[in-house]
Amino acid sequence: MNAALRLLVLLLGVLFLVMGLRWLLAPQGIAPDFGLALQSGVGLSSQIGDMAAFFLLLGICIFTALVTQRRFWYYPPMILLTLTALSRVLAWLMHDAALPMNLITPEIVVALVLWVASRHLSDRD
Amino acid sequence: MASALASNGLPAQLIDPVNQQSEKNGPPNVVLILADDLGFSDIASYGSEINTPSLSALAELGVSFTNYHTAANCAPARAMLLTGVDAHLAGVPNIPEMLAPEQQQTAHYQGVLGQNVVTVATLLEDAGYHTYMAGKWHLGTDAGLLPSERGFERTVALADSGADNWEQRPYIPIYQTAHWFADGEVYQLPDDFYSSRFLVDKTIEFIDSNAEDGRPFFAYLPFQAVHIPVQAPQKFIDPYMDVYAEGWTAIRQQRYQRAVALGVVPSGIDLVDMKTTGDWSALNGERQRYEAKRMAVYAGMVEAMDHHIGRLVRHLKAQGLFENTLFIFTSDNGAEASGPSDPDNFATQRQLSSLGYNSDYETLGLKGSYNSISPSFASAAVSPLADYKFYVGEGGMRVPMIVAGASLPRQGVLSDAFSFVTDITPTILSLTGVNAPGKRYAGRPIELMIGKNLAPLLRGGVDRVYSEDDTVGYELAGNAALFQGDYKIVFNRRPLGDARWRLFNIKRDPGETRDLSNESPGRLQTMLSAYQRYTVDNKVLPIPPGYGHLKQLVLNAVQGRLREPLLVTLITLLILAPFYVYFRLRSR
Repeated sequence: MNAALRLLVLLLGVLFLVMGLRWLLAPQGIAPDFGLALQSGVGLSSQIGDMAAFFLLLGICIFTALVTQRRFWYYPPMILLTLTALSRVLAWLMHDAALPMNLITPEIVVALVLWVASRHLSDRD
Repeated sequence: MASALASNGLPAQLIDPVNQQSEKNGPPNVVLILADDLGFSDIASYGSEINTPSLSALAELGVSFTNYHTAANCAPARAMLLTGVDAHLAGVPNIPEMLAPEQQQTAHYQGVLGQNVVTVATLLEDAGYHTYMAGKWHLGTDAGLLPSERGFERTVALADSGADNWEQRPYIPIYQTAHWFADGEVYQLPDDFYSSRFLVDKTIEFIDSNAEDGRPFFAYLPFQAVHIPVQAPQKFIDPYMDVYAEGWTAIRQQRYQRAVALGVVPSGIDLVDMKTTGDWSALNGERQRYEAKRMAVYAGMVEAMDHHIGRLVRHLKAQGLFENTLFIFTSDNGAEASGPSDPDNFATQRQLSSLGYNSDYETLGLKGSYNSISPSFASAAVSPLADYKFYVGEGGMRVPMIVAGASLPRQGVLSDAFSFVTDITPTILSLTGVNAPGKRYAGRPIELMIGKNLAPLLRGGVDRVYSEDDTVGYELAGNAALFQGDYKIVFNRRPLGDARWRLFNIKRDPGETRDLSNESPGRLQTMLSAYQRYTVDNKVLPIPPGYGHLKQLVLNAVQGRLREPLLVTLITLLILAPFYVYFRLRSR
């Protein structure tokens, strides 16, 4: 059970790292997945900088959690993903943005997986 | 205003065989009757088993159009019907309840009738007509958008997409109440309300209120029938209790045969087996009995509408107004197929109980009961065509259309000439002798009407008003079509469609069974190019990724009804979360 969970978390970490690298190296390929059209100038800088940092942080925290087996390394990605999903719902309610369930659902599911992992895969607090 | 007609004399259009009566009696009255979600073969003169003698009598007094097309859903059809302008340019590319937030960022994607178009009611009112409306509006709820602000002198109007037929209550949770207005003010329905009877009563009341002054009237009568909830008085349901026991496939076939016999469609055409049509023989006896009752209520609702149309006609005859009155009867779109295939399923029952409705067999269609037909019986309602409401197959877009009047030169004839909903306003203007506006009206720029005047088809001597080169484009939430001559290209999104462009000859093959896109790739490409021009000319926006019209309806309903409690809950959670984390850490 724990081995399967560890493998799942590892794959999620790889996925986030790859997404972060895609934002750095080929943002035009990944931006449409988030409903974004690439800007130019400062806008492009913010898009690439913020999005790459977001996903790289997720991946780095997950790998660190797996290696150190410390529970608190799961918290930053859990909080980030939960806040992202929450903010998307608020954007929908407050600013008439779309409610992209295809993005919100994975964010919540991954946050839950990380929460389960934090309970089962961490030996040290 | 009234003097405008008298002082100008009769316009040239009226002094012809279409309306010789006008020379004696002045400009004709016009009654524009719009059924809601009525399928192509839902009335007797188009092949139905449903008893509609009043509409059959009207069909005997004029021309029944068998190749008439409208929009595939409600509000866009009404916008085009009343303005002669494409729905996108008129501000109503879809019903507001189904517009995505991305689309609503654009001014002409609000789902309400824009101020850049002028209604036929305004034009007729300005020409001296009394203008009345009783029924469903669905082109705007706020001040300035109601029919009383769009050319109608007297109104009683339902602003929503639909409502209960027996009392003032909403039919879907997107609304908190049924928004009825009378002459621009919030209106409370009477206790003895039944929609079709009430709307005809109000129409008669409006007509009578000005009967003495001699001015002609334009009465717009958009029924709630047969929109969901499908409801009818018991006496209209009873005659149909045994009619639908053979099931939907048998009815679809019978209607097709009657339509052939009546000349409404050519013989020997093929019918599509729609993938949403269930297997009647697979249902147990109890389910068959229930499904037959659902359709019996539907038939009763159609017959009740016809009965009250008959009452209006008799009243006009009694008042001596009938001879100089023109009637136009049609439907806003094809039959609705959103009823559940399994009415007993948990989600359906939960939704009904949350609205305070039941769907019990014994009281089905009566007050407090919520009824609908499933896609299976909707396939019979559109027989012999394919698809239904929301989709651009002929079943969604081709509906009955009758232009009738004692003064019309051609009586009791069928026309298979292509016609479109935008043609109605230019035709009414022609028949009443009122000039169509150009690009400006009352000192402001307006969109140009694109519809064609169908009066030459009423006179006879021509067999079409659209040339082989004319194109008519249409788009609804990514479903798209373009008509040219006898041909039509069709694009239906999944899940009902296959998201591929297909080419049909709808004159020879109205059932859209033989895709000609491989046989005639050149024609397909030409029509696709014309469709691209249509999207540019009419500012059609692409649909957002992942868009689905039913999903968007649910999201908009949730946002509309639960926005405030959800906001309070989520923001409270956001504020409390750091405190929770802090106390958890402190407690260790």
